[in-house]
Amino acid sequence: MNPFKKDKKQVSIFVTAGYPKLDSLKGQLLQLQKQGVDFIEVGIPFSDPMADGPVIQETSSIALENGMKLGLLLDQLDALRNEVHIPLVLMGYLNPVLQFGLDAFLSRCQALSIASLILPDLSVELYETKYKEVFGKYKIPVTFLITPLTPNERVQRVAQVCQNSFVYLVGQNSITGQGYAINEGLSSRYAELKKLCGATPLFLGFGIDSKEKKEQAFKSVDGVIIGTAYLKAVKVEEEVKFVEGLL
Amino acid sequence: MIIKVCGLTDNQSSMQVANLNGVDYTGFIFYEGSKRFTETTLATAKQKVGVFVNASLQYIKEQVIKYNLDVVQLHGNESPEFIRQFPKNIKIIKAFGIATEADLEATQLYEGLADYFLFDTKSESHGGTGTTFNWQILDAYKGSTPFLLSGGIGLESIEKLKQFTHPQLAGYDLNSRFELSPKVKDPDRIATFIKLLNMKTTSYLDTDPLGFYGEFGGAYVPELLRPNVEELDAAFNSYCFTEEFESEFKQLLKDYVGRPTPLYLAGRLSDKYGATIYLKREDLCHTGAHKVNNTVGQILLAKHMGKTNIIAETGAGQHGVATATVCALMGLNCIVYMGEKDIERQAPNVQRMKMLGAEVRPATSGSKTLKDATNEAIRHWINHPDSYYLIGSVVGPHPYPKIVAYFQSVISKEIEKQLLEKTGKTYPDKVIACVGGGSNAAGAFYQFYDNPKVELVAVEAAGLGIDSGKSAATSVLGTPGVLHGSLTLLMQDADGQVTEPHSISAGLDYPGIGPLHAHTIATGRAVSISVTDDEALQAALELSQLEGIIPALESAHALYALTKLELKKEDVIVVNLSGRGDKDMNTYLEKFPNL
Repeated sequence: MNPFKKDKKQVSIFVTAGYPKLDSLKGQLLQLQKQGVDFIEVGIPFSDPMADGPVIQETSSIALENGMKLGLLLDQLDALRNEVHIPLVLMGYLNPVLQFGLDAFLSRCQALSIASLILPDLSVELYETKYKEVFGKYKIPVTFLITPLTPNERVQRVAQVCQNSFVYLVGQNSITGQGYAINEGLSSRYAELKKLCGATPLFLGFGIDSKEKKEQAFKSVDGVIIGTAYLKAVKVEEEVKFVEGLL
Repeated sequence: MIIKVCGLTDNQSSMQVANLNGVDYTGFIFYEGSKRFTETTLATAKQKVGVFVNASLQYIKEQVIKYNLDVVQLHGNESPEFIRQFPKNIKIIKAFGIATEADLEATQLYEGLADYFLFDTKSESHGGTGTTFNWQILDAYKGSTPFLLSGGIGLESIEKLKQFTHPQLAGYDLNSRFELSPKVKDPDRIATFIKLLNMKTTSYLDTDPLGFYGEFGGAYVPELLRPNVEELDAAFNSYCFTEEFESEFKQLLKDYVGRPTPLYLAGRLSDKYGATIYLKREDLCHTGAHKVNNTVGQILLAKHMGKTNIIAETGAGQHGVATATVCALMGLNCIVYMGEKDIERQAPNVQRMKMLGAEVRPATSGSKTLKDATNEAIRHWINHPDSYYLIGSVVGPHPYPKIVAYFQSVISKEIEKQLLEKTGKTYPDKVIACVGGGSNAAGAFYQFYDNPKVELVAVEAAGLGIDSGKSAATSVLGTPGVLHGSLTLLMQDADGQVTEPHSISAGLDYPGIGPLHAHTIATGRAVSISVTDDEALQAALELSQLEGIIPALESAHALYALTKLELKKEDVIVVNLSGRGDKDMNTYLEKFPNL
């Protein structure tokens, strides 16, 4: 059964593992769960995050300086297995995962019951021709990104591949953390995309930073993912208040 | 190979599939128990197959007449006697579910009764399982009826399909893995499948449809950049081989860049190394290096695509200058991303770019060098998809490596002609070129990749030495990884974080190499040699004093390879002298204070 819901609007938070401190993840996950976030994306830091804006770039470099590594990240999640009950998604660029070893990584993800993986630099074509078999072996569903400009047929194809997770809608053509207004044109396109996704939930991310924007997004999609705005709050130790204000 | 697509219905997606080149048989399922049941077909010129499960002869015959079926596929427990009742001019496919070798025994009774067998995954539901079976079982099939392979074949099966051979294998039956939903086929996936299946890499320069040279390359880009790379690929393929483009490109290369560059017989160098050594004088190009060949080609492409804002990344500033130059020539806006550290180190080139009217934007993230400048350029491109990203080397997502190599191929095309005049042969014994990302090497090797008589020598920067921890010898120290949109050899730590390379030459300290080079080095087509900072300095001084040519530090790496190679007297060697040394005078001044 798909752990990502379509019948109730979802809110997800993106956390860079190892930021601001090497061992911050535990507290963050438990706090977010307590506050009622529906699922959490745990970011795997990478030296060259090409689709990310300055905020996530910075958290990524600090996490790496702190000594965060993929193996350690998985160990930290392992230690929390009995305490975190909401779905966890791992999100990161492909290279650290490939170096860890795709098989080894997926087998650990399976053991940790990771609900889905988001690998922004892996396209649906590459996945289907080169990587699908190994992902299938460990039954880890992959979540792919679409944008308002993605052609309809491709949206359907992505929705089908993501039927056991969700489709990640990048709200506008930009890197993470760039503010923009959800105007009428955008929201009607979002609604159209939602229809094309059929039974697969459609969650909106990149640039969602306030309750107001969240509510606006809820009108046309099944949920929202918040990264940059949350990490900015973490930087000034205001994240609890931020999430409170958001939900 | 026969491609049969099954489970079509009378809808638009089915029609698109039927119209695809390479689809031979269109299958319609006349079985109510199937999710793809239909009682109609399409108006297609392709062979039409009706699929039946334990239907009566009368019913089948009616459908054959009504829909003009060419083939009847029997997917149930139809007996040999039943099949004998069919008129001879109806082609028959008899399907068998296969789970073990024992399932193959039944086929013997049907020999001579069917045109094809179809081997499918065994199931109670007569097919449609969407899963594959163990094809190795078919090794035990010794019959004389050719067969189609069926059951769960998808895009992910390509590699295995290519490995699976059998003397009676006639084709593939595609169904559920090529659907957006039951009854709605996905023509894109089927077209990709056919393309991949028919791919034969005949040239080192050919990429597969996904942009791979062997196992390296591809387009590992976020969905946000997909339209950009697709637009670029389409524009390159449709425009850059037209007469209009070629004449304009040639004209500019001649009148603006100053081509052809000489192929100079370096007499004193030849004497010293005991072989015939030619220098391909790319250092005489306008702006002082080969980089401009590519920027001229790409700026014409950008102009054709209607782009007015050009972005580029640069390390030492050579590509930045070459980009700023052609933008000035065409009157286009130019933004060059350059690592903050490189801006300090390469002040004269920064000044040149500014004088040419470009804006130089510092990359302040990460290690503040070329790789970070590239990240920033990619981010800019994501945020401004209407801009044209002019990549300077054979790196980045497909189609960039292909495009840049093609524009640089003018180097080896000239070498062929010039050698013919000078030696009577169109090819040398060895071509030597330095490799950072590898654009000058790709250009110098281009015409010779598929000529095994030519040894291709790629020279990398060893920095302070391979084992020093301060090196840029990617093919020795690198491992496969994904950076800047392609899978290639990459300098990285055990956790997959990209490490900062070192070389005295700013043009060679990139943590990756182009996927074409990764492929040719990994397969043994090209050899790689590593040359240290000190060795390169020595070669630069030697060339200056033997031939009166001060080379760029990058090119000096290629020159030092002469010392490391075993040369024979009759060998004809071409060294690609990619750039001139003016930009390196500060380094030379510092390293040779007592000349």
